[in-house]
Amino acid sequence: MQLNGVMNENKLIIAAAGSGKTTFLVNEALKYTSESVLITTYTEANEAEIKKKIFAKKKCMPSNITVQTWFSLLLQHGVRPYQGALNECLFDKEVKGMLLSEGQSGVKYSFIKNGKSINVRYKEDNEFDSFYFTKNWKIYSDKLSKFVYKCNENTRGEILNRLSRAYSHIFIDEVQDLAGYDLELIKLLFKTKASSLLVGDPRQVTYLTHHESKNGKYKDGRIKEFIQNECKRPIQCTIDETILNNSHRNNQIICDFSSKLYPEYSQAFACTCNTCRQNITEHEGVFLINEKDVDEYLDKYHPIQLRWDTRVKVNSSFPVINFGESKGQTFDRVLIYPTEEMKKWIQNNSTKLKNATRAKLYVGLTRAKHSVAIIT
Amino acid sequence: MKIKKVNIENYKCFKGQFSLELNPDINILVGNNEAGKSTILEAIHLALSGMLNGKYLKNELTQYLFNNEVVYEYIASDKTQSLPQILIEVYFSGEECPLFEGNGNSEKAKGCGVSFKIEFDTDYQDEYEALIKSGDINSIPIEYYRISWKSFARESISSRSIPIRSVLIDSSSNRYQNGSDVYISRLIRDSLDDDEKAKISQAYRKMKDVFMQEDSVQAINNKIKDKAKVSEKEVKISVDLSTRNAWETTLMTYLDDIPFHQIGMGEQCIVKTNLALDHKKSKEANLILLEEPENHLSHTKLNQFVKSIQDNCKGKQIIISTHNSFVANKLGLDYLMLLNNQKVIRLTALQPETQNFFKKLSGYQTLRLILCEKAILVEGDSDELVVQKAYMKFNEGRLPIENGLDVISVKLTFKRFLEIAEKIDKQVVVITDNDGDFENNITKKYQNFDGKPFIKICADDRNELKTLEPQFVDANKDQLDVLCRAIGVNQADYNTESDIVKYMISNKTTWSLRLFESDEPVRFPQYIIDAIKWCNE
Repeated sequence: MQLNGVMNENKLIIAAAGSGKTTFLVNEALKYTSESVLITTYTEANEAEIKKKIFAKKKCMPSNITVQTWFSLLLQHGVRPYQGALNECLFDKEVKGMLLSEGQSGVKYSFIKNGKSINVRYKEDNEFDSFYFTKNWKIYSDKLSKFVYKCNENTRGEILNRLSRAYSHIFIDEVQDLAGYDLELIKLLFKTKASSLLVGDPRQVTYLTHHESKNGKYKDGRIKEFIQNECKRPIQCTIDETILNNSHRNNQIICDFSSKLYPEYSQAFACTCNTCRQNITEHEGVFLINEKDVDEYLDKYHPIQLRWDTRVKVNSSFPVINFGESKGQTFDRVLIYPTEEMKKWIQNNSTKLKNATRAKLYVGLTRAKHSVAIIT
Repeated sequence: MKIKKVNIENYKCFKGQFSLELNPDINILVGNNEAGKSTILEAIHLALSGMLNGKYLKNELTQYLFNNEVVYEYIASDKTQSLPQILIEVYFSGEECPLFEGNGNSEKAKGCGVSFKIEFDTDYQDEYEALIKSGDINSIPIEYYRISWKSFARESISSRSIPIRSVLIDSSSNRYQNGSDVYISRLIRDSLDDDEKAKISQAYRKMKDVFMQEDSVQAINNKIKDKAKVSEKEVKISVDLSTRNAWETTLMTYLDDIPFHQIGMGEQCIVKTNLALDHKKSKEANLILLEEPENHLSHTKLNQFVKSIQDNCKGKQIIISTHNSFVANKLGLDYLMLLNNQKVIRLTALQPETQNFFKKLSGYQTLRLILCEKAILVEGDSDELVVQKAYMKFNEGRLPIENGLDVISVKLTFKRFLEIAEKIDKQVVVITDNDGDFENNITKKYQNFDGKPFIKICADDRNELKTLEPQFVDANKDQLDVLCRAIGVNQADYNTESDIVKYMISNKTTWSLRLFESDEPVRFPQYIIDAIKWCNE
C-alpha cells in the first residue's frame, strides 16, 4: 500500500485529566499560520471550549482554522459531498441534519415475547431510507460513521481524499469517545496525506453512541489498543503517553489515588512548576468522611458535591452536579457521593468496576485541585 | 482557478438544459440578438455573486426569470408534475478547491463547483396544494420559491466563500442610490487587503467624528433638537455609518475630478475592464465578463481596448459577448463560440481544413452567417446582385437584409459554410450553377446535406445551361427586348440568345449592376425563384 507519496505524521497522545490537553491542542493549531487546520471533538461543550481558548489568544478565529464537532464534520464532509454514491435515492435529497439516538436506532416495531420486549429493526439492504434516516431525513447519530465509511468505499476513497486535501492538519480532541466505524475512519485518515493529531483520555469516556458492534473490543476508549493492533505498518502512528501526563490540576495524592483505577495506563503526575503548586492549603489530599459529618464538612470547606444522578440525596444548600456534567471542569474541592459499586472499590482497590462506573469515578476524583472527600 | 463549464436550465431564454464549456483564457461568444449571450454572462455572474442587475436576487425573485415557454407549459399543465426550477451550475477546473467538490450537481458525478437554484420551497407544500385546489393559477407561485445556493458538496455558500470573483462589465448602469458604481466599488474593495480596508473604514469613522464636532454642525444639531419634537428621542444629523461597509456605499470614485458615473459609458467600460485586469490578489481567481464592449466605443477606442485585453489577460479568464467581427477577429478565432438556437459551435469543432479556411477569412463572413436569420449563399458578386433583385421582386421591393436575410457571396466554398450552418441549425439556401454537370456538381457534391431541413440547394438540372447568364437569358427568351433594356444593351447589336449570353459573360458586373438598378419586368430563372420562395416560407 502506498501512502500517497507525501509522508504524513500521525500521533496519538494519551492525556491525563487536568493536563491541559485542550490548551495544548490549541497551541499546536496556532503554530500553523498558512496551512489549514481542522480541530474536531466529540461534544459541543468541548467545541465551545476550544473556540473560547482560540479567541482568548487570537481575539478572532484565524481563517486557516476550523473547529467543529465530530458529528458535524461527518455530516458536512462525509455525508453530503457524495451522498448519492451510497444510494441513488439520495442524490436530490436534502439530509437535514442528525438525530442523536440513545441506543440502537431504526426500530420498525416491537413485540413482547416471554415477558421481554423485542425490537425489530429496519434492514440496511432493502430498507435503506429507514435504516439510516428518520422520516424527515435526519441521519441517526449511531449510523453516521458507518454511512460515511461505506460512502467512502463506494467513491473509492473520494471522501477521505477530499477531506485531506482541504485540511493539511486534522486534530481530534476527546478521541476516546470515538468507537465502531469512527475508528475505521481514523484508520483511513492515517493513510491520507493529512497529518493527524489525536488527543484523549481513555479514562474519561462519554458512552454516547457505542451501540455499534463494529470494533466492539475497542470500545470504552481503547483507541490505543486499536492503533497498536489494527493500524500496523505501513500506516504510521506514534503513541505518546508522557507529554500530557502531568496534571496541572490535581495534587500528587489525587493523581496517585485516581491512577489506581486504570493500572493499564501510565501513572499521572502532579505538575511541580511554581504556578501549579502555589496556594497549597492546609487540607490537601483524599479523605474518607462519615455520612453524619457531611454537613459540617460542607460548611467548613465548601466542596462541590458530585453525584451519579439527581436521585441521589444531597445537601441542597450547597452546589451540586452529576459526575457526567463535571467533565472538563476544575474545582478546588469536591465531595463525592459514591455508588455501592464505588464504595466496594474504595475499600478494596482490586474489585472490578463496570466501565461506566469506573470512568465516572475517575472523572469525579480528578476534578479537584486540593481535596477529594468520599462519603463512607 | 478557472471556470470549466456552465450549465443553465430554464433561465430566461434557455428552455431546458443548456451547457457551455469554456476556455481557461479567452472566450468570445458570438450570436444574434436574443441568442442568449448576455444571459450566459448574467447567469454566470449570478451563480458566483448572487447578484442580478447590481442587486442581490434573494429578495427580488420574479417569475420573469423563468423561461417563458416553461412558464406557459406549467400553467397549461394539470399540475401533476413538479414545479419548474431554475438551475445554474458553474464547474471549476483543477483540484485546488476540495471544499467545493462533491456529486451534488445535475450530472451526479464528482465535480468541483457551485449550484444556484431557484426552486419550490417544500415548506409551502400545504399552501401550494390549497392553491392548486382553488384552480386559480395563472403564474408561477414565486412566493413559494427559494434560492438554494450550494457547493457541489451540498454545503450552503455565500459569495464570499466562492474562490472566483466575477466582474460583470455591462452597458447598463447599476449604481448605489448615491451614484457610486457598485462594480467599481467592488473592484476597488476587492483589490484592497484587509489591513487597508480596516484603515479606510477607520478614516471614514474619524471623518464622522470631525464632522460632528464641527461648530456649525453642532449648532445645527442643537437647533434641530429644540425644534424637532418628532419623537421622545434625540434628533440630529450625522454621517451614515449604519451599514457594515458604509464607506463603500458613501465614497465615490472619481476620474480626473469627475464622478465615475458621470463619465462616458465607453470610458467607464475601459476603466472597469482595466481595473479588473489589474486585480492582483492571488487568493481569488478573477473572471471578467464583458458584455458587448463595442457598444460604447469608437473604433479607435475599441482598438485600444482590445489591445489592452490582449496584453493584460494573462492569468485571467475572460468571457466576451460581441456582435463585432473586429473584436472576434482580433482576439483570435480559436476562442470563438458561435451561439444559435441554444446550440454552441466552436471553430475548433469544424473539420481542420474548414477551420483553417475560416481563420484565413478573418471571421467576417462567418459572423454574417451566424448573425443573420437566414442566409442565401451565392457564388460571386453578380449572383449576389441578381438574387437581391429577385428577392425584392417577390417582397414588395424590400432588400433581403431588411428581413434578416443575408446574401453572402462565398466563391466556391459553399460546403464549408454549410458545415457551420448544419452545426447551428441555421437556415441556409445555396444558389449555384451546375457548370454543365448537374449529377456531379450538385447531386453528388451536396448529397451529405440531402434531406437536412435547414439546408436547401437550388440549381437547375439542364446541363446545357451551365451558369447564371445562359439561365437568365433562357428565362427571358420570349422577351429578349425587356432583358436587353434591363441590362442596358441595344437589342439591335445583340439579337440572338447566344450573343446576349456572350456579352453577359464578359461583362458580369456591368450587367448585374444595371439589372439591379432597372425597373424592367425581367423574369428570373426558376431555381432562383425556388430559393426565394423557400426563404419566404
